[in-house]
Amino acid sequence: MCDFSGKLIAWMDRELTECEAEAVERHVRACAECRRRIHEFEEVSRAFAGYCDAAVKVPPRAGLPYWVPTVSSAAAVAALLLVFLRPLVQPVPLPPRVAQAAPTIAVQTAPGVAPPVRPRHMITQVKTPVMSWEQAEPAIRIAIPAEAIFPPGAVPEGVNFVAELSIAADGSAQALRLQP
Amino acid sequence: MSGDSLPLTLPLPRFATESCEASALYRELRQPLLRYLVCLGLPADEAQDVVQDAFLALHQHLAASGSQENIRAWLFRVAHNRARNRQQSYDRRFGAPLDSDFDSVVDEATPEQAVLRKEKFRRLGEAIRLLNEPERECLLLRAGGLRYREIGQVLGIPTSTVGDTVDRAIRKLVEKCHV
Repeated sequence: MCDFSGKLIAWMDRELTECEAEAVERHVRACAECRRRIHEFEEVSRAFAGYCDAAVKVPPRAGLPYWVPTVSSAAAVAALLLVFLRPLVQPVPLPPRVAQAAPTIAVQTAPGVAPPVRPRHMITQVKTPVMSWEQAEPAIRIAIPAEAIFPPGAVPEGVNFVAELSIAADGSAQALRLQP
Repeated sequence: MSGDSLPLTLPLPRFATESCEASALYRELRQPLLRYLVCLGLPADEAQDVVQDAFLALHQHLAASGSQENIRAWLFRVAHNRARNRQQSYDRRFGAPLDSDFDSVVDEATPEQAVLRKEKFRRLGEAIRLLNEPERECLLLRAGGLRYREIGQVLGIPTSTVGDTVDRAIRKLVEKCHV
């Protein structure tokens, strides 16, 4: 193998110093083997560049990114929930009697009753109000379209029901009352 | 209206110069960057995103009066790092580098020429797959017009190592392809 063989590619790429490049150039003029090698290196370099260009032109493969089905499913579920739950669950303003259902709180927050002024450092025992959950009136009202409960045609169109839900002390549903 | 004219001390000339420079770099380097990223194994859409990210980073870099020395290597390094980050995050999405089906892009004048070109691509593709990652990356950056010093800056390796790697990779391709 020629002594200059290891510098041929760097010479092609103009990465040698001026002095080195001149020496390689002189040698290449005289060495047919090095000229042949340079021709091969240039050919393969061009082919590599052409291969890269073709890789960019190749159309993307069919198929969606992996996250598309997940996002689409989540969006579909969210849309369904919006469509079906929106007419069923409507916020109903709480009636005033709900405020009356908690007498201990009502007494403490009644307007017009000024709290007694006490000097500092006087600690009195605070009486904790006993919450009577069982006396509480239903605090949740859900409007349900009649067609969601009864078969089609059984109830005139447009009639809604209001479901009053009473919740027991343990959090379970105590009673459900439907009112047209 | 003349009284409302803007004072001449605004840094508009500097902004315009940076903007022109960024535009010129975009025209010059967008395609080489895209080609490099696709050849690294990114899908075309991901490569587009990374190129945009890289040029956005360049704009911020220039706006913050960052160094303009070796800006081409800087841009390739940003794109390279972002591409690698995406590949590590979403490894399963990416194919092997330069692993493509070229049937659709070979449109030679005659069927014989098309067959020859496809065969050439096939052999070259097999040879490229035999290269290790640094060899492939060095050749890709070299094909993008970067000097060895710039390739070293992109990949974080010495210039002498780049020269040795390019030399080794080219000889491997010649040996396997017999072009």
